[in-house]
Amino acid sequence: MAEPGGSPVSLLCLAATSGVPLFYRGAPTRHQLPFSVIGSLNGVHMFGSNLDVALTAARTEGTRVLWRAFHNSITLIVMSSEEGASDFTLSRLLDNVFSAMVLVLGLEELANIRNVERLKKDLRACYKLIDSFLMPGERIGDLTHCVECVLVPCSTILQECLTAFTRAAESRFGCLLVGGRVAVATEPWWQLAPQEVNLLAWLVGSLLPSTTRDYPVYLPQGSPMVPHRLLTFQLLPGLDICLLCGPSPSLEAVKTELVPRFWKPLLEPLRACACPPSVPLHPGVLAFLLINREQKRSLSAVLPRGVQAEGPALPLGSCASVLRAFYALVVSHYFPCEGSPVPPLELPLGGGSHSAQHCYVVSAGYKAYAAQAPPHQLFLLLAPEVPTFALRPLATHILQYLVLQLGNKRQTPRDQIPTCQESTDADYWGPESPLRQGE
Amino acid sequence: MFRVGRYSIPRPVTRNLEDLDSVQSILLHSDLEPEWLDSVQKNGELFYLELSEDEEEALIQDRSEAHAVNHVRFRENEAEIIQEGSRKERKYEPRLKKFTKILKKKNLLPKPSGKKGNTGCNGHSSGPTSILKHQSTQKMGVTIQQKYKDVCVYVNPKRLSYTGGGREQLRLLETLVGIVHQSSWSTRRAEKQGQDKSIKEISEEKLVVHGLVPGSSAMKTGQILIGDALIAVNDVDVNSENIERVLSCIPDPMQVKLTFETSVFEPEGTSQQKYKQAQSSMNNLVKLLWGEDNTDLQLAIQGVPHIVMYLTLKLDSETSKDEQEILYQYPISEASQKLKSVRGIFLTLCDLLENVTGAHIISSSLFLSGKLVQVVYWKESDKLLVVGLPAESVPLSQLRNMIVDVVRTLKFMYHSLDSAFCQVENVSRLDHFFNLFFQRAIQPVRLNSNTSPSAHHYDTYSALLLDSLPGVRWLTLPQEVKMEIDTALSDLEAADFAELSEDYFNMRRLYMILGSCLFYKGYLIANHLPKDDLIDIALYGRHYCLLPLAAEQRIGQLVIWREIFPHHHIQQCEASSATGYREPEARYFLLIVGLRHFMLCVLLEAGGCTSKAIGNPGPDCIYVDQVKATILQLEGIDSNIEERLDSPSVPLLSCADWFLPASRDRLDSFSNPPILSKLQNTSKTAISPTSTRTLFGDYSLRTRKQSPSRIGGASDSGCEEPEESGGLNPHATQDQVTKKKHTLPNPFNLGNLKKNLSEKNTELYNAVKLTSGPENTLFHYLSLETMQGIFITPTHKEVAHLSGSIHPQLIKNFHRCCLSIRSIFQQTIMKEKKKREGIGTSSLPSKANSDLDLVREHGILFECSPDNWTDQKKPPPTMTYWVVGRLFLHPKPQEFYVCFHDSVTEVAVELAFKLSFGLAI
Repeated sequence: MAEPGGSPVSLLCLAATSGVPLFYRGAPTRHQLPFSVIGSLNGVHMFGSNLDVALTAARTEGTRVLWRAFHNSITLIVMSSEEGASDFTLSRLLDNVFSAMVLVLGLEELANIRNVERLKKDLRACYKLIDSFLMPGERIGDLTHCVECVLVPCSTILQECLTAFTRAAESRFGCLLVGGRVAVATEPWWQLAPQEVNLLAWLVGSLLPSTTRDYPVYLPQGSPMVPHRLLTFQLLPGLDICLLCGPSPSLEAVKTELVPRFWKPLLEPLRACACPPSVPLHPGVLAFLLINREQKRSLSAVLPRGVQAEGPALPLGSCASVLRAFYALVVSHYFPCEGSPVPPLELPLGGGSHSAQHCYVVSAGYKAYAAQAPPHQLFLLLAPEVPTFALRPLATHILQYLVLQLGNKRQTPRDQIPTCQESTDADYWGPESPLRQGE
Repeated sequence: MFRVGRYSIPRPVTRNLEDLDSVQSILLHSDLEPEWLDSVQKNGELFYLELSEDEEEALIQDRSEAHAVNHVRFRENEAEIIQEGSRKERKYEPRLKKFTKILKKKNLLPKPSGKKGNTGCNGHSSGPTSILKHQSTQKMGVTIQQKYKDVCVYVNPKRLSYTGGGREQLRLLETLVGIVHQSSWSTRRAEKQGQDKSIKEISEEKLVVHGLVPGSSAMKTGQILIGDALIAVNDVDVNSENIERVLSCIPDPMQVKLTFETSVFEPEGTSQQKYKQAQSSMNNLVKLLWGEDNTDLQLAIQGVPHIVMYLTLKLDSETSKDEQEILYQYPISEASQKLKSVRGIFLTLCDLLENVTGAHIISSSLFLSGKLVQVVYWKESDKLLVVGLPAESVPLSQLRNMIVDVVRTLKFMYHSLDSAFCQVENVSRLDHFFNLFFQRAIQPVRLNSNTSPSAHHYDTYSALLLDSLPGVRWLTLPQEVKMEIDTALSDLEAADFAELSEDYFNMRRLYMILGSCLFYKGYLIANHLPKDDLIDIALYGRHYCLLPLAAEQRIGQLVIWREIFPHHHIQQCEASSATGYREPEARYFLLIVGLRHFMLCVLLEAGGCTSKAIGNPGPDCIYVDQVKATILQLEGIDSNIEERLDSPSVPLLSCADWFLPASRDRLDSFSNPPILSKLQNTSKTAISPTSTRTLFGDYSLRTRKQSPSRIGGASDSGCEEPEESGGLNPHATQDQVTKKKHTLPNPFNLGNLKKNLSEKNTELYNAVKLTSGPENTLFHYLSLETMQGIFITPTHKEVAHLSGSIHPQLIKNFHRCCLSIRSIFQQTIMKEKKKREGIGTSSLPSKANSDLDLVREHGILFECSPDNWTDQKKPPPTMTYWVVGRLFLHPKPQEFYVCFHDSVTEVAVELAFKLSFGLAI
């Protein structure tokens, strides 16, 4: 099944009542599943639901299949032969895909299918977004359902400017995206559901490159029936301003008047944002993910490895996927993650008065460590050379130092993770920091 | 009054082997017809289980329903073929017949349709009144409503010591049953008047309970109340006139049903509750094994969707019958009906996924009326075995292990799945098998004993975990004891005893003993079998719940005999002609004999160098007796084993509660907590009676003496200086021990640690501490060694000693974690296996990548605080501990799980792994 080069994940979308395939994403078309297989996959699910038995998952050695029906009108089936795939990750994937469909088309059209052929055509608009979920790359927000943030210098100036710009555009929702992650955003933007914020960011990333866009979106949780306008303006490559607004103002007005007025003076700080400096951590750290569970924000990065690394090492690309798999393992087994719409597919552990605090995995090619100190959770992927007994101090130091620094520099509680204020990254992760002591 | 002698049955030859205490007597005994002989089935199989007298008494008294039996025979599975009612009659016939006959002769048995029988005797209007009829449990409620109640008591006429000749009236009622009835004045007067028929009614006075004899069986039931009137014994009407006659007819120890007319209304609910309580879980297990009425157990899981089906994928299209694809299914309940109705899903998925992915389907998940049900598959040729269980009972990863075990056991018993499922005569046997299987899976706690204090430590998760390990629980024993056992087993295996020597009968012997293994209370204590055979036998024992049975109940006698198909031998036989050696084309038999807490399993081979087995040979008396004799020979060592079980664990364990600051203060101030004083007592009586040390010193000393390996003078020393341990004389160590200041009152001297010294890898202990630092911080451990097929974990008793509020939770959590860690390790093992297979065929580059995510170690840090923390001012104290699992793949997979306090430094953990567990590598 897993053809070399092709995506090991196949996603099927069918109309639940009629069984008509709406779209197929995943493996290249020539490896597409034959129609008979698609029919059977849907058939078993339909057969079950007719008898009041909901088939949710099946697995063979190396392959997993998940079924999910949404609003009794859309059935999504995913078949994955990825290494790190788990029921948790696939379940999140189906969730995201349906939300993406709602974002683009609105719930009304999906819940009550009137014209299948038209729907098929309409759905093409969200192919790109869905594909980005199938190939998440280094991003992990689809899994954590936390807003992916990025640290930028001079965030206060940007924040002030963004607030003024949003107000001038008669909107409350404004956000600055750097490389698909939120750098700064207005207060109402933060109050959107984290999944929506992620979806909007991923949507911007998946649309065709363009300096300005006016795109109708339905917010899957905020307003699944009524569309809003998403205005985006590319200030610099990889740097977009997003606005959510009603019928006014016109795209043209904002583009010609407001954008130059507010953002031109800030070109230098913006330039600095466009290429965010890498975070200097202990050289053994391959990738990290920091989550603030209360604020539902996350900070993650895959760090380039130094040349001194020896022995078997993970290729850079797979670091992200290993971290994803580790996150899925920890969250589905040990760290309870409330509010997860995913049904408990695995046996949850802990519970009672015994709660898991740390967790680690040692394998031949990497070591992974997870630590939680509410509201923060830290997931680290480390090189195999790091001795196991050093994992815990390293992780606690990184977590403590990070939280401490953020706490000291905090001006408003909202700014805990995403922004590092007034300080340059150099002194933030300075060489004198305890993080470097393990070297 | 009546002389019973004429009717009394000659006492049967001691049925109970407890009475036999020497090997001589058992050999003598072997001349007699063994009691299990009747139970041998046509195909030669035998499953005979008899509890020891004490147990049986307790068991029967606990059971409220009547089974007027003493020794129950269970013919494997035949029971289920016969209908419920007739089956029981048949089963208990011999004994009951006697009693009935006696009664008949005395004209005491009422006519079945007699008016009296219906009105006065029992409250069950349905069905004929028969002495052979047994009340089903559900009828109890009815009985109470009608103001009658049935109470079953165990009576043993043999215990009566007749002091004088003149037996007074109602003497038996008092001595045998324990009911005191004082004839009223009017009765006495009536008696004086002799046989005057006019006042006969008065003479047949009701037997009102005026008192209960302390310690009597009537007292023990707790259900007989003063003021109740006894109206029937085993459905025979009684009154003051005939009660003695009736009671004197009881020939042997047995259970008797007494029917009372009760003056007090007992609310139905409470009585049922009482009944439930009385029904100890072990009874459930025994009942299940006997295949007796276990409707209440069945009822308990009826609502739980669970199913096993054996389906064929190849359908004969010409004969399109309904459900023709189902070759076997169990159970037939409403909840499973739904699962059965969606078998189309299972079949289609199996076919579909195999076509698409090229691999067999492993599992699927369904939501069934709000419940997540996991279904696992096992495909073999064109047949599909499907097992479905709710996810809340069994996590998926465990379920996958379980189906593998089921398949292995079925193949062990029937050679192949086809021969197991496709033969009509096996259906009832499989029903029994899967009944046990589901009971174990869904309510393991009910099957385990609730009498043992440690039961609550061993909840569902530990049952799940320990049951799925590919190993047998191993109990390390002192070298001398071990040697003694090994010698005894070797003697048996040599098959050199007179009857078996070939010269004796001048013919080839029937069987060759391939090996044997000995269990004590469910722990493996000696094994002379190859690993595969051991696992096969252990799985068989697990599926028939034999190990827990022996652990908690004293088995009067257990004899199991059946033809088996050991995976290991059969496979070699089929596949390995290339190596030059061929397993002989032989047939294999398994003989399990259990006596008290011992269970000896013997693997026999017929064919090969012995004579060929023809037909379906039943168990051979000589072999059974020899095995029995071996156990009896080892009888003496059970005290040693008990001693070992009672001794503190090696390595030493700590109790989690000791690490909470609050309890630590408390313990310090009292310094003599009940647990420890108990320990001290046992230690004084058991091992070092001369020691007059302080509590801690005493304890430490004891653990040292207990240290089983005195070989090499390796008596261990105090905590800090493990290097010095070798040369210290006892006196010096004592001084050292007394000088030592312990920060905690638990034995913080060195834990012992297994070392690989002799032919088995784990017998010898030596004195190295598992954790470093002044305090012992090890809470629990589990070590699985697949090379030998054994695992080691603290014994139940050891765990029970460490009671506390947090510790049980900790152990529960430990087991849950082990389950999830183990499922990750299993993925690794599977990948490794695939990789090895792949090396021959595919190229290397793919290997490099897959190699990287082989998980070797996985640990979780937990934090806990006491549940009932009432102090509002202070936050509850917390204690943190690690659960760490480590997997060693080479040379054979080994898994170690430890649970230790957080204070251990990481370096020490590393060291501990290397030192202790790493030794076996």
